[in-house]
Amino acid sequence: MAVKEILDRQVIDLNMEATNKDEVIRHLAGLLKNAGYIDDLEGYIKDVYLRESEGITGIGGHVAIPHGKSAFVDKVGIAVGRTREMVEWESYDGEPSQLFFLFAVPADSDGAKDHLRLIAELAGKLGNDAIMSKLQTASSYENLVEAFS
Amino acid sequence: MKILAITACTAGIAHTYIAKEKLENAAKELGDDIKVETQGSIGVENEFTPEEIKEADVILISADIRVNKDRFKGKPVVDIPISMVMKSPKGVINKIHEKLGK
Repeated sequence: MAVKEILDRQVIDLNMEATNKDEVIRHLAGLLKNAGYIDDLEGYIKDVYLRESEGITGIGGHVAIPHGKSAFVDKVGIAVGRTREMVEWESYDGEPSQLFFLFAVPADSDGAKDHLRLIAELAGKLGNDAIMSKLQTASSYENLVEAFS
Repeated sequence: MKILAITACTAGIAHTYIAKEKLENAAKELGDDIKVETQGSIGVENEFTPEEIKEADVILISADIRVNKDRFKGKPVVDIPISMVMKSPKGVINKIHEKLGK
């Protein structure tokens, strides 16, 4: 898969100052807004929290995948962030998170199937232990792409 | 053991596909055959054929939404929330072995 097609430098920050869940979501959503993936920051964030209320997004291994299926998303994308310190986040293994993938998916995604397939593939890779362990130490865009390749 | 598994989460964006990967890796490690059908935002993918259903030892449904089971009449069906696969994919498969005595 062409990881580079979905991993966009504009929405990746591997040196985030955020210290809690809300700061992480807001910072990454802000990147999505600036890069034109979403058109309404608050509306999108509300939809991300709606998904958060439906179930755990900390998938273990210090990785969390908050996501919003939202009418405020114009373009399918994934913002990626790493915080300097671990952040409290509900997870399947009870551990805090440090690496975050914020998914942006339009509510009406019929026209975006190709991109959805790319993010489904990327998500699938997060279920792979070898890739997850590479991600733990990824500190640059190149490392990220390499981990998923 | 021949396992057919369906994964489906509420948004159909991420967990569906992570759970697929986890189940495939766990089954491989435990020496089981598995095929995983995903029911997510891109629709149904990797759909089972009638032959595969006939030959399967067990149908594992790991879903947070309702999945139609009409195709599986007469087959042993194990129904679990997707979180169990996220937490312990090998545990899930081991449990199925125990239950079916295979």
